[in-house]
Amino acid sequence: MQLRDYILRRLMVLPVLIIGVSIVVFTLTRIGGSPVGIYLSHEMTPDEVAEIEARFNLDKPVWVQYLYWVRGIAMGDFGWSGVAAAPVADVFPLKLAATMELAIASGLVALFLGIALGTYAGARRNRLPDHVTRIVAVSGASLPQFWFGILLLIIFWAHIGIAPIGRSDAAIFASIAHPTGLYTIDAILAGSPTALWDAIWHLVLPSVTLGYGATAIVARMMRSALVEELQQDYVDAARAKGLAERIVLKRHARRNALVPTVTVIGLTFGFLLQGTITVEIIYRWPGLGRWMADSVLRGDQATLMTYVLFTSVLFLVVNLIVDLVYANLDRRVTLGK
Amino acid sequence: MTTTGWRNGLQAGIAALALALAAPLAATAQVNNPGLLVHAADDEPTTLDPAQVEPGEGGETVILQVYDRLLDIGPTSPELIPSLAVAVPSVENGGISSDGMTYTFKLREGVTFHDGTAFTADDVKYSWDRAMTMDLPEGNAGALSDVVASTEVVDDMTFRATLSEPSASFLNSAVVSMVASIVSQDAVEANGGVEAGTPNPFMAGNMVGTGPYKFVAWNRNENIQLEVNDDYWGENAKLDVRIEIGGDPDVRVLGLRAGEFDTIETDPSFIADLEGVDGVTVYSGGLLLEPLHIGFNLNIPEGALPSEDTIPVDFFHDPRIRQAFNHAFDYEAFLNGPLAGFGAFNTHYTPIGIFGHDPNAPVYARKNYAEAERLFREAGVWDEGFSVSVITEEGNLFALMCLVLKDSIERLNPKFRINVLAVAESVFDDAHAQNPLEYAMWAKNADPAADPNFYMQAYQHPDGEWGEVHGFANGYRDSEKVASLIDQAAVELDPAKRAALYSELQTMLYEDPMWLIGAQEGVVSAHRDWLKGFAMQPLWPRPSLKFAFFDK
Repeated sequence: MQLRDYILRRLMVLPVLIIGVSIVVFTLTRIGGSPVGIYLSHEMTPDEVAEIEARFNLDKPVWVQYLYWVRGIAMGDFGWSGVAAAPVADVFPLKLAATMELAIASGLVALFLGIALGTYAGARRNRLPDHVTRIVAVSGASLPQFWFGILLLIIFWAHIGIAPIGRSDAAIFASIAHPTGLYTIDAILAGSPTALWDAIWHLVLPSVTLGYGATAIVARMMRSALVEELQQDYVDAARAKGLAERIVLKRHARRNALVPTVTVIGLTFGFLLQGTITVEIIYRWPGLGRWMADSVLRGDQATLMTYVLFTSVLFLVVNLIVDLVYANLDRRVTLGK
Repeated sequence: MTTTGWRNGLQAGIAALALALAAPLAATAQVNNPGLLVHAADDEPTTLDPAQVEPGEGGETVILQVYDRLLDIGPTSPELIPSLAVAVPSVENGGISSDGMTYTFKLREGVTFHDGTAFTADDVKYSWDRAMTMDLPEGNAGALSDVVASTEVVDDMTFRATLSEPSASFLNSAVVSMVASIVSQDAVEANGGVEAGTPNPFMAGNMVGTGPYKFVAWNRNENIQLEVNDDYWGENAKLDVRIEIGGDPDVRVLGLRAGEFDTIETDPSFIADLEGVDGVTVYSGGLLLEPLHIGFNLNIPEGALPSEDTIPVDFFHDPRIRQAFNHAFDYEAFLNGPLAGFGAFNTHYTPIGIFGHDPNAPVYARKNYAEAERLFREAGVWDEGFSVSVITEEGNLFALMCLVLKDSIERLNPKFRINVLAVAESVFDDAHAQNPLEYAMWAKNADPAADPNFYMQAYQHPDGEWGEVHGFANGYRDSEKVASLIDQAAVELDPAKRAALYSELQTMLYEDPMWLIGAQEGVVSAHRDWLKGFAMQPLWPRPSLKFAFFDK
């Protein structure tokens, strides 16, 4: 089968899969009960509840509610978030951008810190620095995020007073436009060093909290890969040529050790996205994680359905892209059979 | 690095850390964020529209700062004071007609809305009519529509309301309520207008009032920003305001200690973390007007109760059982435990702090096991025992009150069992809105109000909101008399006679309780010492603060 035909066939199947996913998402959330609770106040009479149900079409049969939901989505209306007190579609991109920014910053922390620690330990295998690095890395994986985050807050925010909380200084944030929703990028686009510094400074504590856990995974992977590389013949050959140990390590062994490490870094991004829930709550970070946690606790089904649908569709699309890339890279993979 | 180098580095590091740790001690004398008040709030508003906001909900805090009403309540007493009206109407000044049916308000001249338009009587009529026309189920339009028959613009600066019947509580409960806030007619009409039964999305997220603060931005899940209205008709506010929304309660406490927040919303359980902290003042004064209650359901449908409940559906029809529950509850444990001592005993629905409360009326202030046992025995349930469920929201004072009840009742007699069903707020609200209610008991707090008539109508009248749902008529010893006294007090314009009626009701309702009121929670707040002009008024919406009074 031609690649083009394969792509077309997958694209044609995609809407069917999305509809299937939407039915599953809708059904699962409805199993938890009616979504009306989030829109109610505690002194409402049954008549007032009925009015609220009618407003959100929750007085209709469930299958009709599903059709209303699907029609809404087709028109860009994902429902009303009781938690955010706004249309889901208005808030979702803002929250997603805030979370992505935090996850990316945390990934960078994990990347640089993990590679540095892993390299340092791998080059000093079974010596004191290796053991110390292992302790540092393992503690990153084993410290509960909420505890580590609160600890950093107490030290750097509450006591020393040098680190901020939240995502931004409200006045500085309001002083620039936000076309991408990523504060750092928007600050660069606006040419505002003040806003850029504000964005980075607010990112430090939450991204260290979140990235420290992933650092352990990256560092351990990097160390193992480097130890293995340092035992290869080409390393001996490089040393025999008289290259300095620093050059052997940095230009030869570390470069090769990065290949499996980078693969792991990609996988840890999912871990980082999950971890944002705790970190966002502690640091008052206005992202998806905190919104979702509130939505779960308060039964904000419109928000939850959008989130699950979004991640499901994202997964389907990414899966399609991965399949295509994989087939393109490895010609032994046959398409559509 | 040499050994000496390591040592020097270590010493330098320790010195730097010591300096850094010492720094905040010096910094406490400084004022953080000069010119800005940072208030850490408990939860996100659901709306900023006066016509949509629910009494006691977070949006009322913001509405109080940005909108004005015709009358207001000052910071130090429950007396009404003029606001957009230049005088408090009375029979003496001609503002109230002799039959008590017509209220005329002379309005303040030269007032402008935040959008620059002029304030006139048209705006008052428009604002009140708008709320009553929209009549949103989540809002409080009933505070107006239950008493107001018609509104009228007499002239540009005179507004008149005609009531459907005389009301002793009209000024205190309707005119000062958030639903009676005056909005800009031009702003509403330019952004969706008024539609019956339908919220206005613009007004839900934006504000155009005449108050001391202008609305700047609402960043969901993050903050609400207000700025000083330099053209305010009264004394200008001194500080811009940023309301930080939600987040972990411990972080709010931490932020106050760090000086990042000037005021925080808290509850008594956090006071221990703040008392004695340098630079922080813990304020307690007065009582919230939201008694914490456990309701007895006298209207349980057959077969509706949870399977573990063994009581008959008419269990609470017997006043002796309701009295026994009230005698058995360990009030002191609840007050000194979950409420950390901030509160008072008050077992009837005329809260301490509002007109009509009789301090000499009897209250259930102490656990009295002997009396509880006597009443349970008389009612014939002592030997056989019972199991009954109480539903409430999880993780708050209501759930703790239920646990105190469970402990109190089960200690009294091991054959008694209280099952505390602590559920998510949305699940509770859903269950709580059913009529008939499918649980024998539930725990929550009352909506706040400034006049006893609201409490009596909603929580005690046999035909009132809860009287009907709970079937009070099935249980009052003299249902007609209770109804008659409440109805008389509602229209009695002589304060002395009215107070006497409420006093009589309080004694009656002690003997014939329809609620178990765990306590009237104390007003507790914590703020930085550098905040000047701090005042709390329980009659203002929670957290009972007007930021315009503050300076630092």
